[in-house]
Amino acid sequence: MTHKGTAGFIAQRASAVLLLPLVAWFLYGAVANAGASFEEMRAWIGAPFNAAMMGLLILVGGFHMRIGMNEIIDDYADKGFRGVFKLLNLFACLGAAALGVWSLYVLSS
Amino acid sequence: MASDPAPAKSMSRPLSPHLGIWRWTATMAASITHRATGLALYAGTILLAAWAFAASRGEAFFAPVGAFLASPFGTLILFGYAFALLFHSINGLRHLYWDMGRGLGVKTARMTAWYAFAASILLAVAIVAAGVSARGG
Repeated sequence: MTHKGTAGFIAQRASAVLLLPLVAWFLYGAVANAGASFEEMRAWIGAPFNAAMMGLLILVGGFHMRIGMNEIIDDYADKGFRGVFKLLNLFACLGAAALGVWSLYVLSS
Repeated sequence: MASDPAPAKSMSRPLSPHLGIWRWTATMAASITHRATGLALYAGTILLAAWAFAASRGEAFFAPVGAFLASPFGTLILFGYAFALLFHSINGLRHLYWDMGRGLGVKTARMTAWYAFAASILLAVAIVAAGVSARGG
């Protein structure tokens, strides 16, 4: 994020604000579905509102994760390795988000 | 400084945070815990995505995870995940409050750090207890 500190700062906070209600919904959903059967879970995540919230949580969460990990890389990684670590970070966040969205699509359809 | 044995050339930069020489304070602990829970959530989210993918392959992959989460160790993992999510969110609120230029006084910051720890631990216990009683275990 060299020379892009302000953009990262704002993006991290904007995504944080979005994540607050999404995380509250997620915790509620986790408790509401404790002990649910496979079909019950599928029916719940397949409801339009729940599927939309889950999709947003995956995308905004992945975005927030990437910025946070980049900040840690800037703090601790040797200068020469930062680019590689940030690329790996991008792949990990994109991969997790893609896996999440794909699974959401399969489970809710 | 005459007695300083290390020549300036060979001095390496100190690692931050300086855990060895700083006195622990609630604010420092909250700052470190924020980063630690952020890292834990990073790993936890990747695990969660892997689990969601497994579940999308069918019920055969879904049932064993549910059985594991019902075990004492699984419940501990759930508590840890809930705590990380709650602490990072509540302490994140502190950060957003600071970004508005408020709550930065030493006394206030220490007090809100303690609140963040207390609230996230209590809420995590309440949420895991509600989940355990809801699944009837």
